[in-house]
Amino acid sequence: MSTWRLITTWNAQPAFNMGLDEALLESHGSPPTLRFYSWKPATLSLGYFQRFDDVPAAREARSVVRRITGGGAIHHHRELTFSLVCDAAEPLYAGSIGESYERVHQAIAVALRGLGIEPVLRGERRLASERQDTGMCFHHSSALDLVWDERKGVGSAQRRTHGRVLHHGSIKLGTTALEGDIATCERYARGLSPESFAPALRSAFESQLGLRLESGVPDALERARAKELGPRFVDPAFVRRR
Amino acid sequence: MRPNDRKYSESHEWVKIDGETALIGITDFAVQELSNGNESDLVYCDLPEPGRVLTAGETFGEIESVKAVSDLNAPIAGEVVESNVAIEEHLEVLSKDPWGAGWMLRIKPERKSLEGLMDAAAYEKFCASLKH
Repeated sequence: MSTWRLITTWNAQPAFNMGLDEALLESHGSPPTLRFYSWKPATLSLGYFQRFDDVPAAREARSVVRRITGGGAIHHHRELTFSLVCDAAEPLYAGSIGESYERVHQAIAVALRGLGIEPVLRGERRLASERQDTGMCFHHSSALDLVWDERKGVGSAQRRTHGRVLHHGSIKLGTTALEGDIATCERYARGLSPESFAPALRSAFESQLGLRLESGVPDALERARAKELGPRFVDPAFVRRR
Repeated sequence: MRPNDRKYSESHEWVKIDGETALIGITDFAVQELSNGNESDLVYCDLPEPGRVLTAGETFGEIESVKAVSDLNAPIAGEVVESNVAIEEHLEVLSKDPWGAGWMLRIKPERKSLEGLMDAAAYEKFCASLKH
């Protein structure tokens, strides 16, 4: 059983959220880390390679960042956001990228089942949440995505650099005007907050992935780096770099 | 068996000396890892402008598959002479021909020695060890 650090930061600012994830990614030698967080204000994040103009919702959102992970845009509101940060040699990330998604999604599925949801990997199913030309993560799916009610409800993306992995995930508790008709937990658990869902998710990560999670905080160096790195993510030059 | 006329890095790039220059690309193993065997899963790639000087191990570009953004690392030091920008719009080439048409950079190497990199047999063993 592998021991991981669990960092929880609710209602944090967008620059801090992204800066801390990058600081953890470059923090070689630190314990593997699972982070649960949420955003204040609600923020739209663009995938690393997306063109700003290809995401109409980016013009409507009041707060926008660009992630360093790939994939589509996400409106971080009424969701539990998580990140997993560790060496690529961790057993959780052994094998192909697809296999790592499958493991993480199976753990999330266990937590969702506790709410009465019956999530499955999309496979060859056709989803009702697919939309053309929005650039939104939840409107575009792949076979390994976790879906229920014929819609996508969990968004995921990774960054792999210098032998390290950053895995971003968004679990939709409710929907937003920018995301529309997607799968959410709301139908099954009205008023569910990220804080109230976190214990079930923690327990599922521990039991399904064989992790022992110890609550912790970023160390002084990680906090200082997060502060340095954060402003780039909201800098218009980076947000509109493509 | 992978080509014997080049050397390989642990981050799955290959380098092949070609006269006064060297060609750099990524291996079939890297492509398979990124795309899960589905060539349309590769979506973006950024390569450097000519003139950039790279140190060995330095990140020279980035590639995105449907599920991850990954670094591209220089197996040897040198100055970028040419980037194969054609593949940025046709990433399926990486699946079809990673050893030829899928080359990414032509560099003027600082040294012609490829010491420290793996030959095809060693790389074969290295890849096999990652699957266990």
